[in-house]
Amino acid sequence: MDSVATRLTNCFQTVFPDLPAAQIPAATQQSVAAWDSTAAIMLINVIEDEFGLEVDFDRLAELDSFERICAYLKAQQATPAAADGSGA
Amino acid sequence: MGLCAFLRVRIRYSGTVTITEALKTIQAAAGQEALSYRVFLVCGFTPLHLQTFLAAHLQRRLAGRKVSMETGLFGSTAETLESLSRTDAQAVALALEWQDLDPRLGFRSAGAWGPGALADIRNVVSAMLDRVAAAIQSLPESTPIACCLPTLPLPPVFHTAGWQAAEAELALDQELLDFATRCSRRRGFLLVNRQRLAEESPAASRLDFKSDLLSGLPYALPHADRMGEALSRLIAPPSPKKGLITDLDDTLWHGLVGEAGPESVAWDLASHHHLHGLYQKLVAALAEEGVLVGIASKNDPGIARQALDRRDMLLPMERVFPVEVHWNAKSGSVERILRMWNISADSVVFVDDSAMELAEVAAAHPGIECLQFPANDVAAGYALLRRLRDLFGKPRLAEEDSIRLESIRRGGAAFQDAARDVASAEAFLEQADATVTLDFDITSSDPRTLELVNKTNQFNLNGVRYTEAEWSERLARPGALLLAASYRDKFGPLGKIAVIEGRGVGDTLHIGTWVMSCRAFARRIEYQCLKALFERSGADNVTFDFAATSKNGPLREFLASVTGTESQDRVTLTRERFEAVCPPLYHRIEETQSSKEPWTQSQPA
Repeated sequence: MDSVATRLTNCFQTVFPDLPAAQIPAATQQSVAAWDSTAAIMLINVIEDEFGLEVDFDRLAELDSFERICAYLKAQQATPAAADGSGA
Repeated sequence: MGLCAFLRVRIRYSGTVTITEALKTIQAAAGQEALSYRVFLVCGFTPLHLQTFLAAHLQRRLAGRKVSMETGLFGSTAETLESLSRTDAQAVALALEWQDLDPRLGFRSAGAWGPGALADIRNVVSAMLDRVAAAIQSLPESTPIACCLPTLPLPPVFHTAGWQAAEAELALDQELLDFATRCSRRRGFLLVNRQRLAEESPAASRLDFKSDLLSGLPYALPHADRMGEALSRLIAPPSPKKGLITDLDDTLWHGLVGEAGPESVAWDLASHHHLHGLYQKLVAALAEEGVLVGIASKNDPGIARQALDRRDMLLPMERVFPVEVHWNAKSGSVERILRMWNISADSVVFVDDSAMELAEVAAAHPGIECLQFPANDVAAGYALLRRLRDLFGKPRLAEEDSIRLESIRRGGAAFQDAARDVASAEAFLEQADATVTLDFDITSSDPRTLELVNKTNQFNLNGVRYTEAEWSERLARPGALLLAASYRDKFGPLGKIAVIEGRGVGDTLHIGTWVMSCRAFARRIEYQCLKALFERSGADNVTFDFAATSKNGPLREFLASVTGTESQDRVTLTRERFEAVCPPLYHRIEETQSSKEPWTQSQPA
């Protein structure tokens, strides 16, 4: 697992402490009962903390699985603004 | 260190947490076995972040408790409060915002703004505040309520430009202040200081406008964190310090009195040393509020006394006791002062301009709060004054606060001297002309009773602290018994100094709580209380729910001496044993009128 995925897994464990670690990489909003609208906001807040970036609220709906969030974060890290920690 | 890094350190010091840290704090506590502490959060918006931060800050403050939060209906603050008239929550937190008082004062309502709406908005706000105030009054009396008045900006509803206060806006503020003043008369109503909050959470960065519109979460995360901290500080405040020991040179005044002379040390505006005068004024105010104030200085005692006796001193010397002025180590002075006050080092603040003296005292007295007087830094001096106020701040002043120093000064030293010699101690106690007043009124609403239970460390049966609700529950049990004892002698009154709470079942009285102020040691009041308990209850055995703490050695030693056994937990004292070991008691006994009601014990199961 690469470092982004590892850090993202930690974020999921913080927001969904009852979700087994093995299930996190395949987690989606449909498969995790606790992943409701408020948990989605909390998850994004924790990801912002962990990665030092600001996620646009307008993109909340599309960030609905571990895989999609991971891809989003990698794309953000590829941009200079995110890479120097100054936010997206 | 750059300014930003410095500010971050300062903010960290004040207790800021991130949302991730908050969640981890809550989760770490969730897995532990602990007494629960239930808090009901009332707010009109989605409470997600505020609830998380409040729970985390409370969890950090309430070691040994597991905090649980409940919330009400979103958008219905008054209705939620009204539903709490029989709540079993141990505290209520109320985060009031303008939108709770009239939806038009928020950003998520389509209701009209403009001059035509303003009169009606004021009427609606006024009526809603009346409703909220009535709901607060109807909360259980023992439930504290921590409240924060609106923190978010009013929307641009007024005809004035944003930099000009509108008359209608002032009228709304007036309604709010009237409401707060009315509510503050209710016991246990605690209000966040809006000025302090503004320092910790600047007004311009509180509102997350986009989050409010999209998700109904109006608080920016740092503001939710600060609000959580502010409300948690009211619900679970730190214990106020009890004593302040101050240095003299370059602390209580500017200059070295031994070199400059008593008339040349200064603390006034004209000499540009008014910071020392402000410090004197604050220490004088603290002393008036019941804080013990002592002096530890390396100086010639005669010269220092001349300066202390100057008529322009702003700290009256009759409020200072004891005064340790000599050339020996300050740790020794602090040792003697602590012994005279009979309080532990962690209840005391030591102020000195010398980092070396502070370090010497800190090393000898772990737990003492050492603060450096920044003689040449006025800004740091202002910070010191505020820090002292925070360390000694208390929600209310009790009668006992005003007599504490006098009782120590007049009686403490004499009792302690006498206690060193058995024969003179006996004669001293006999001639003390002491009266113990016993109050068995279980319905008493005197807040001093629970306050004494929750702040006493040394003579404390088990160190258990109670919320008002928990205390009321204990006193409502069948067979419950409460004894509050007050004391006075020829040296003056000590006020209410002992509390015992227990429950009688069959021929045994089970004591769950026993505290006695350290000011009342060496007067045999503890024996008098036990005697009163045996007489009142008729029990043949008294069982004590003892638990050793890091500080309750005095009670442990007393129990060991009176029962004849060293115990780490529950211990029983028989009437026969007590009568055999009880020394002569010379107190005159008075009982309050309400104590004369008969007491009924619970039948054994």
